[in-house]
Amino acid sequence: MSLLALSDITIRYSRLTAVREVSFSMTEGEILFITGPNGAGKSSLLRAIAGVTPVAAGKIQLAGQDITGQAPENIARLGLSMVPEGREVFGSLTIEENLLVGTGMQARDRTSRARTASDLEAVYMTFPILKDRRNGQAGLLSGGQQQMLVIGRALMTNPRLIAIDEPSLGLAPNITDQVYERLIALQAQRQLTLLIVEQSSARAMMVGGRMILMRGGQIVLDGDARTLGSGEAIQAAYFGYEDH
Amino acid sequence: MSAVSSATETSLTGEVIAAKKQARFALARKTIVTPILLSLLLIAITLITVMTGSRPFNQTVIDVLVRVIFVVGLYIFIGNSGVLSFGHIGFTCLGAYAAAWLTINPIMKSSALPGLPDWLLQTRLIYWQAAILAALFAGVAALIFGKVLMRLSGIAASIATFAVLAMINTIYSNWDSVTGGTSSVVGIPIIRTIWPYLIGAVAAIFIAWAHAISRSGLALRAARDEPTAAAASGVDIPKERLVAFVVSGAVMGLGGALMAHSIGVVTPDTFYLSLTFITLSMLVVGGMGSLSGGVIGVVLLSALIQALRWMEGGVSLGDATFALPKGIQEIALGVIMIVILALRPSGLMGNREITLTRSNRNT
Amino acid sequence: MLQTLFDALSLGSLYALGALGIALIFGVMRLVNFAHGDVIAFCVFALLWPSTDAMAIVFAGQLPWYLLVPFVLLCGAGLSVLCEIVVFRRFRNANPATMMIASFALGFVIRYFLLMLYSSRPKSISLLPALSQPIEIFGARLPLLQLITIVATMAILIGLTLFLRQTRFGLEMRAAAENFSMARMLGVRANRVIMGAFALSGALAGAIALIFGSQTGTVDIQMGASIMLMAFIATVIGGLGSLGGAVLAGFLLGAASVVMQVALPVDARPFRDAFVYGAVILVLLFRPQGLIAARGTKERV
Ligand SMILES: Nc1ncnc2c1ncn2[C@@H]1O[C@H](COP(=O)(O)OP(=O)(O)OP(=O)(O)O)[C@@H](O)[C@H]1O
Ligand SMILES: [Mg+2]
Repeated sequence: MSLLALSDITIRYSRLTAVREVSFSMTEGEILFITGPNGAGKSSLLRAIAGVTPVAAGKIQLAGQDITGQAPENIARLGLSMVPEGREVFGSLTIEENLLVGTGMQARDRTSRARTASDLEAVYMTFPILKDRRNGQAGLLSGGQQQMLVIGRALMTNPRLIAIDEPSLGLAPNITDQVYERLIALQAQRQLTLLIVEQSSARAMMVGGRMILMRGGQIVLDGDARTLGSGEAIQAAYFGYEDH
Repeated sequence: MSAVSSATETSLTGEVIAAKKQARFALARKTIVTPILLSLLLIAITLITVMTGSRPFNQTVIDVLVRVIFVVGLYIFIGNSGVLSFGHIGFTCLGAYAAAWLTINPIMKSSALPGLPDWLLQTRLIYWQAAILAALFAGVAALIFGKVLMRLSGIAASIATFAVLAMINTIYSNWDSVTGGTSSVVGIPIIRTIWPYLIGAVAAIFIAWAHAISRSGLALRAARDEPTAAAASGVDIPKERLVAFVVSGAVMGLGGALMAHSIGVVTPDTFYLSLTFITLSMLVVGGMGSLSGGVIGVVLLSALIQALRWMEGGVSLGDATFALPKGIQEIALGVIMIVILALRPSGLMGNREITLTRSNRNT
Repeated sequence: MLQTLFDALSLGSLYALGALGIALIFGVMRLVNFAHGDVIAFCVFALLWPSTDAMAIVFAGQLPWYLLVPFVLLCGAGLSVLCEIVVFRRFRNANPATMMIASFALGFVIRYFLLMLYSSRPKSISLLPALSQPIEIFGARLPLLQLITIVATMAILIGLTLFLRQTRFGLEMRAAAENFSMARMLGVRANRVIMGAFALSGALAGAIALIFGSQTGTVDIQMGASIMLMAFIATVIGGLGSLGGAVLAGFLLGAASVVMQVALPVDARPFRDAFVYGAVILVLLFRPQGLIAARGTKERV
């Protein structure tokens, strides 16, 4: 059974249609990359899944439940953890507080508390800089450090599905590698499902998994990342034919 | 463009200006229906009033016309700029007191307001002359305050206008020798015929319309809807806001003068929070982005208030008389406003104006 | 001198508590709540039994203080939450102007509801009379009440800080105040946080009502409005939504008022408030974002 299923999703901003009748589904434990040029509608799609952007038509299901039009907090409680575009850290909170905001959904028993503590340690292990400055104000972190923080924060909620909008944005290449290592380890350990938006297909080719290419609000290619990424088709699909 | 020689450029500019003039003219022709229809509405109400010949009804309609002036005055600034102002009733206060200074019998004046300068103590004008001067006075005050305030925007601007209102109220409540302090200034000639108020209201509507289609008004609305784009294309937002602020301040002053003549007494608290609230409500309920919305908001809410007052007074149904308890009127008014706003957050008219060819969007 | 300091602090306390009540709600909802003043008035009137007689019939006002205080705080919190559920919930996505006018209208409804029950005449009430005794500190005779006002305000501020800093709910509220939609994506329940903010704000209104009621010894429908205007201004000067800024600006306004009262020439004293408002406009000109600006990079309570 699929964990996430979108059918005929259309998203409009007043007159502009940003996403047009997009359908796809993901099974538990899958890694799916969405790529495409600027303005393709990738972020809009992610925000719609998270419940912060309303959909004009179509249906979204998460873990067997219809979540179309649901409040973001209820969707989060079903196991979606979202890292939106543009680092939305809580600047006035400390780094540790930022990491803990999303842990309120969990039961207040000993096992989940222990898991929260070990998750926190794991995040600090991946991003030692966060540990060094755990009591510092998050707003004072550098751009890349803030990106680490929001990714760490998303890992803290014990999610079934993580949706990340451009994780590599502003990160040094070796940090990006670490982020991916950690994500893939989690995916393997906990059957975590990953939905990742990236500008380029290079990362998808390295990591593997499935890749969707969007352009003009529609899916133009869908297939295995490694085979798709190396072909000519992607170039053509990415840039479009009429652009030349 | 830069490659074009200067001679052609001049003629080009000439053509552009001519074209713009024509466009403005076309725009005027297209939009003038709105003020005409609104005026006809007011004229119709006035004629009905005159025909019934009822004194209390006459007074009620005068109140409506005065409020039309206020709300149209508010619209000129708030509607076009999108900045909520709480300070405009302050200019009404200035206008009302200016009218009082200019029209009260000099003998009464020198005993009640001894602090006024001699020339003002000696002056005694006819009400409409005083009203025009009052409007100018309020306009100048708006210019002075506006110079400072228009550099602000958003909520800071709104709160600063609030501070202006409170400041004017504090000064007028305490400057006993010139304003009589918190006690009433009496002896303002009362004008009971309805026509001057009608003329005032119609004038306000046409001023608002003329401002709205002027270059400044168009630029201001463009800036309201697309601030970044307007700023990028060279619209000087503070300046255009200031123009609207001054025009609307003058209209508020005119309304204040007429209000003073309609009731014959003024106190600073007449022109404070409750009048601010009621006029702003009328604008917002009607639709703050539209002139028609303002006028219709006044007419509808006034009718509602009147109906509720009437029910408070007691309605006979057969043998029994039903009267609503006192205070229900205001409570019902508040509740109805909340309901309207919840159902139509941008007011009854939204951004639309009434025209002959169905409602169309006001650009 | 000491007297002036205490005057400034106790006036500032009222403004600060008022500003805090507004800033809390603004933080989570971007609503400038004009009904707050009427919630204060409601709390004061809750001390009396409804009647339109000139004589006040004391009701809750007779309770011993340890019951009276929670009662009034609960009244404020209850009314405030009710306002949220019945009215403001419908305006979550409305523009700020519409929300402001809706809150204005709601305040109007509350005010006239009170007038209907109690009539518009101010009534006198002696609330906690023991507190009006003067006491002697460092040679200055100060009303005990002033001292208690200041101490109570400090206690409230410290309590609120601890609540916001140390509890789960406080953490969620701070996160929501800064970035509401991100907080929701992390599972923070919007309704709970907003209702919490309204409850706190209402309880603060209750605290103001108690302080103001015992200071003036009267119950008057106007009393909410006078504090509110200054509280609004304090909220804006403090940088809208910044709780620390609101408190600081409240105390500053209180100090400015008292200092001007002392420093202005006698002729100009009646115009004190006009000078304060003028100063406010000046502050806004130089710091349109408020004294403590830049949400997210500065410390808050
Ligand atoms: N809040 C909004 N209001 C209006 N239009 C929007 C809004 N958000 C996005 N758009 C428009 O929708 C289209 C898709 O935007 P979206 O952000 O989803 O693209 P994207 O694929 O994420 O692009 P990028 O790779 O640059 O992040 C764009 O044309 C954009 O201008
Ligand atoms: Mg994007």
